[in-house]
Amino acid sequence: MKFVVSSSVLLKQLSAINGVVSTNPIVPILENFLFNLENNTLTVTASDLQTVMITEIEVEGGDKGAIAVPAKLLLDTLRGLPEQPITFNVDEETFGTEIVSDNGRYKLSGENPIDFPKTPSVNRGQSVDFSSTALGTAIANTIFATSTDDLRPAMTGVFVQIGTENATFVATDGHRLVRYRRTDIQSAADTSMIIQRKALNLLKSCLPAEDVPLKAEFTASNAFFSFNNIRMICRLIDERFPDYENALPTNNPNTLTINRMEMLNSLRRISIYSNRTTHQVRLKMEPGKLSISAEDLDYSNEANEKLMCEFNGDPMEIGFNAKFLIEILSNLVCKNITFELSAPNRAGLIIPVEQEDNEDILMLVMPVMLNTYA
Amino acid sequence: MPNRKIIHIDMDAFFASVEQRDHPELRGKPVAVGGGGDRGVVAAASYEARKYGVRSAMASRTAKQKCPHLIFVKSRFDVYKQVSAQIRAIFAEYTPLIEPLSLDEAYLDVTENLKGMKSATLIANEIRQRIRQTTRLTASAGVSYNKFLAKLASDHRKPDGIFVIKPEEGEAFVAQLAIERFHGIGRVTAQKMHSLGIQSGADLRQRTEDFLRQNFGKSGGYYYRIARAQDDRPVEPDRIRKSVGSENTFAHDLDTLAEMQSGLIPLIEDVWQWVERTRVYGRTVTVKIKLNDFQTLTRSRSSFLPIRERKFFENLAFELLEENFPLPLPVRLLGVSLSNLEDSQPFEGKQLTLNF
Repeated sequence: MKFVVSSSVLLKQLSAINGVVSTNPIVPILENFLFNLENNTLTVTASDLQTVMITEIEVEGGDKGAIAVPAKLLLDTLRGLPEQPITFNVDEETFGTEIVSDNGRYKLSGENPIDFPKTPSVNRGQSVDFSSTALGTAIANTIFATSTDDLRPAMTGVFVQIGTENATFVATDGHRLVRYRRTDIQSAADTSMIIQRKALNLLKSCLPAEDVPLKAEFTASNAFFSFNNIRMICRLIDERFPDYENALPTNNPNTLTINRMEMLNSLRRISIYSNRTTHQVRLKMEPGKLSISAEDLDYSNEANEKLMCEFNGDPMEIGFNAKFLIEILSNLVCKNITFELSAPNRAGLIIPVEQEDNEDILMLVMPVMLNTYA
Repeated sequence: MPNRKIIHIDMDAFFASVEQRDHPELRGKPVAVGGGGDRGVVAAASYEARKYGVRSAMASRTAKQKCPHLIFVKSRFDVYKQVSAQIRAIFAEYTPLIEPLSLDEAYLDVTENLKGMKSATLIANEIRQRIRQTTRLTASAGVSYNKFLAKLASDHRKPDGIFVIKPEEGEAFVAQLAIERFHGIGRVTAQKMHSLGIQSGADLRQRTEDFLRQNFGKSGGYYYRIARAQDDRPVEPDRIRKSVGSENTFAHDLDTLAEMQSGLIPLIEDVWQWVERTRVYGRTVTVKIKLNDFQTLTRSRSSFLPIRERKFFENLAFELLEENFPLPLPVRLLGVSLSNLEDSQPFEGKQLTLNF
């Protein structure tokens, strides 16, 4: 098998799917890219058994064949080469692979392509069309709130519900929760699934900067995404997602509306003075005024700031982990946010005041107990 | 730290003495409380039985070999608990700083006491007398300036005795002690110490803290301090429960996973009943497996959120069990426990979680 390809084109495509190749995979063959050549199209597959990424590249050479090539060795070689056409010569008996550049030859020992795991195929999947930016935004808004607790696998992914009117993305680790809804993603029939955090991270990092059409298909066990010349297949988390709807408090008589950046910057300063393990900050709310304070008894450090806000309800004090608030506020993009609260031991909701036309964002954070509340 | 006055009170052969008190025909005879069957364990032995070498936690079969005319009596925990409450009520008249170690043992900090008495020795004797009047049982007391020495002291004149280790005597007392007698040094550690040439408190004292830490890990620091009769641990009245567990020695050894799973279910049920009653949820599940050569394996796993569903608890316990398969030998005992308990009562600085 022989083909010629531009070194930079190959590098760009391989880099897009390289994230799925782990350094210490369960089976050694997964340290390789699988090359399949047919009709001047080179199809490259990378896999970690849970997630498979595939890209297609136009090459010169009418051969047909396959080879598994060590991913790291190949990428390191390509990164070091100036842009030029390079020739691959593959001996399909010995799996020896030779790359010929302008002024050199590089020999890699490949592996038998037969050993590479088979890619699951789409079989009567439910198909949904997205725009790539819609999906990218949904991932960015939710993925930070997923859990890392492998004992509760359901919460290590993002729950995706697509219906006839909208699509809802939910992530939670039990301390905070994000519900992100878009009305511009719809499906003919209701479908729901939990997609692994790692797969979504990979997807997010290879989505193009410009908006392109993206096609998604879902089966009972896998999700398929395709855009440009990239395809991703990821295994779904086969678990029941927690009943998040019931966790959202509905009766929140106290509301506080405030400039997001002002509050975020204040929290960043105040949190420096908070206890290093709990990161606890105290929010004291009264009409027109929010004071944010923190103290670290171990080091006798304390700080407080007063911010202008709009507050409706009974004056109250509530404690939060500053890290959670900072993470939530910095993931939002709106100018103003509203906190909806009921009591110092109940969940607080954070809702952007200005929402995009087809977006509906709701974030929830659980408080930290203050000593004034018994 | 200013000198404290700590008393350790320990009832003499508690369960066995209660049985001898309530059953006059048992008095003066070797009595063991616990199951006398093939796989029973001695929960407590009367002093008459101890003369034959019968000890608590000994397999009943071994106990019978040592003392063939040993009388086995079934335990009556409700009665022991009732007596325990009586003695605690007596302690409470002297100090609120009571740290119960079990039904029959407690530390009391009487540095500042409710009766304004100067002498801890007088308090200890008064308490022993009151216990005798109220319960018709005897107790031994140790009096000293920390918990470690107080416990050693109560052991020194058992039964029905009192021993005082004064501040100036503490170090000398520890120095002459064989290391087996130290609380917190078990059989295995003692053997290791012997192999390192450590026989007595004085030998232990000659070793550097680094040496002890190298050989005994974290406990090395504790050994270093107790060799100097130092122990700063306070008497903690509200020792919060750290774990809840249940275990069972089976009537015959278990071989298959299915047998063990069904053996584990009633234990899981026990623990879960406690969880439901107290509404205190744990994050860590531990499974204990004792093989028939008495080798014990424990495996645990922690969840990020409290375990609020019995099914989840059961699954984790089963997984931990399965991961130990195949086992080299049949299983004699299984246990399951929950730890990292989270009180449903919120406390300052506690991060609340969603109810998933």
